[in-house]
Amino acid sequence: MSAGNDPNGKRLRDYGLQSERLLWPGKGPGVFETEVSALQDRLMLTTLEKAVAWAQTKSMWPDTFGLACCAIEMMSIVSSRYDIARFGMEAFRASPRQADLLVVSGRVVHKMAAPLRQIYDQMLEPKWVVAMGACASSGGMFNNYTTLQGVDKIVPVDIYVPGCPPRPEGLMEGIVRLHEKVAAGVPPAYEIRGVAQ
Amino acid sequence: MAATQPRIYEGTRIPSPTPTILRVPDELRESADILEVNFGPNHPSTHGVLRLIVQLDGESVVGLQAVIGYLHTGFEKSMEQKTWWKAIPYAPRMDYLAFQANEYAFVAAVEKLLGIEVPPKAVWMRMLLLELNRIHSHLVWLGTSALELGAISPFWYTFRERDRILDLFELVAGARMHTRYFQIGGLAEDIPSGFFDQCREFCEVMPKAVDQYEAMLDQNPIWLARTKGVGVLSAEDAIALGQSGPVLRGSGVNWDLRRAEPYLAYGQVEFDVPVKQNGDVWDRYKVHMDEMRESTRIVRQALDGLPPGPWIADDRKVVLPPREELHTSMESLIHHFKLVTEGFTVPEGEVYVAVESARGELGCYVCSDGGPRPWRVRFRAPSFVALQATATCMSDALVADMIAVVGSLDTVMGEVDR
Amino acid sequence: MSLASIPGLVETMEAHGETTVVVDAARITEAALHLHDELGYDFLSDLSAVDYLGWGEEPVAGYWGNAWGRDLNIPGTAALSRTPEPKPKRFAVNYHLLRVAASGEGPQRLRVQAWLDDGEPVASVVSIWPTADWHEREAWDMMGIRFEGHPNLVRILMSDDWAGHPHRKDYPIGGEPVRFSDAE
Repeated sequence: MSAGNDPNGKRLRDYGLQSERLLWPGKGPGVFETEVSALQDRLMLTTLEKAVAWAQTKSMWPDTFGLACCAIEMMSIVSSRYDIARFGMEAFRASPRQADLLVVSGRVVHKMAAPLRQIYDQMLEPKWVVAMGACASSGGMFNNYTTLQGVDKIVPVDIYVPGCPPRPEGLMEGIVRLHEKVAAGVPPAYEIRGVAQ
Repeated sequence: MAATQPRIYEGTRIPSPTPTILRVPDELRESADILEVNFGPNHPSTHGVLRLIVQLDGESVVGLQAVIGYLHTGFEKSMEQKTWWKAIPYAPRMDYLAFQANEYAFVAAVEKLLGIEVPPKAVWMRMLLLELNRIHSHLVWLGTSALELGAISPFWYTFRERDRILDLFELVAGARMHTRYFQIGGLAEDIPSGFFDQCREFCEVMPKAVDQYEAMLDQNPIWLARTKGVGVLSAEDAIALGQSGPVLRGSGVNWDLRRAEPYLAYGQVEFDVPVKQNGDVWDRYKVHMDEMRESTRIVRQALDGLPPGPWIADDRKVVLPPREELHTSMESLIHHFKLVTEGFTVPEGEVYVAVESARGELGCYVCSDGGPRPWRVRFRAPSFVALQATATCMSDALVADMIAVVGSLDTVMGEVDR
Repeated sequence: MSLASIPGLVETMEAHGETTVVVDAARITEAALHLHDELGYDFLSDLSAVDYLGWGEEPVAGYWGNAWGRDLNIPGTAALSRTPEPKPKRFAVNYHLLRVAASGEGPQRLRVQAWLDDGEPVASVVSIWPTADWHEREAWDMMGIRFEGHPNLVRILMSDDWAGHPHRKDYPIGGEPVRFSDAE
């Protein structure tokens, strides 16, 4: 099924397949990668900025913000099978002042919204937010009086990871894409989105 | 009219007048230097969003109050808006560690109201999966509780086995967590063929893994010092405070719903119920470890005893017909259509089904008005009740013991707040 | 000593293998003391409330029902569903009791039901079963049922300044309308 074996010499994307992270040679870049490299060319980072961005991605420490079921899958990316330590991120900091990445894993209710915003405010720039799971992205299956319909109502979100709960690989995919965004020079979400800082 | 005298509290360690709040005694308030600390909803122990307001006199805790509600998602009201089928996925997200226990409690309550009989294959498979869920919950509990007390390595060991269990769930139901595999009438799908061998392998591996965890922790003097004699809860206090599960059995009360009120096929398998006498954190830890071994025994027996046959009941008014029939039978097509679009109705009534989840008695009270949607669903969450015992366990304790005690009560905030 | 000896007993019902005892809400303290001391129900599993506002008013299962409902022997009733019988008052407080370590007569599990109107208080059983503390607070928070004699009847799940009692039937489910397309 790889492009090299295709009798017509076509590539996957010629058949309309845009999936990324496929591990065979000859596969061209997917939509995300194409967009990120286009951004990279446009932003034209200096070597120093590129180096700083590279360093930021290589040890982006998450904050322990586990709320509900997604927190369990977030814990399992630390476990030896999924091993987020490969990416330099196994040091989950309890103090937001020492953390770079806020992985909002779980449903956020109105009572918890104020502590969430407080934690986000206590983090030092540059900081990124990953909305993990359906509940953090959009309220999930809970469209009711008490659940915040998406955590992007109160914090600016860089990456949304779908799933209920997302597989650990799914979360890692989201984190790796965040790394690629940052390395390409995309500024953190608070500089782009219109959520109050 | 009201009996306001704290009659039960005399001679017990339960604080009064409020059994769940440890109040600073007035003489200490003047004399000592009380520091009020907020162990806020976001704290590094991974038990979720629990807030403890603690008054400290030096290192000892003289005042304690738990504030919950930071994860109140309105499950019960949301389930009232959905049909009986659509309400099932809400249940596992409450206790997200032993998730299928919640699913089972709700599904069993609805089946009780419907009067539908579940085929034996589904009964045994449900029991098997519930025990796997129990092991999964205890593994995550052990990993995180040990992590909080400073024993960092067991986390990776327990999560290694936990991933094996989640592989089994993925094999059976397609998802690692929140599988929604229990359907009203039985199981949603048949059991795939590779499951039995993989599960048997897991049963070989699990007891050795539990030995490994005990080898890491049991002889460690720090672990012993931090868990022995800490957070004692007597048997009478435990019953008065409504504790169940490992907390109750760690305090010396031999009460397990699988033995006392057998459901599923627990009456047909052999297992022991671990009971310890002292009621401290060490005993609760030991009960959890022994329960993991007993659950593996049950899983092995369930694998051997799983009868062949249909995996879901035959009642077409409630259960979807097999897909092959849809091509040939008009009635099946109509039943399928009605079930998927409109759903079925459950006769009027109210039931309470109690299940022995990994944390204790998980009860599901369902009230139906004869319609397509539940009128009221109430989950009696064991963690909600377990948190009430924090103040009692923490009478004369140090702040460091608080982490051990809250960890040993094995609370999951999803079901506390619902 | 059997269930008939419970003070304030109104009715005993059995269904689905469970026994439900309806008790007059004004005499709940005596009944609870009797159940705990004489009949040995030392464990309160659950204390919850149900709101029956609107019970039997909506068509059941999409069909307008009536008292006799669906009966194969009465022609023309095949499409009808039985409307449920009206309940005595708006709220029911259910006490799910269990006998663990003590001994006594009667079934091991028992449901005690007390009926209340909106605004009618009921005595708290915290001094008899301390575990009722948080259950009663939740019933107050979610349903607005006042428990007299409870030492700390404040909101537990919602924020302290929340208005309304969410699990009541006249409280809306809330949430946001979902946008399904760009046109909305």
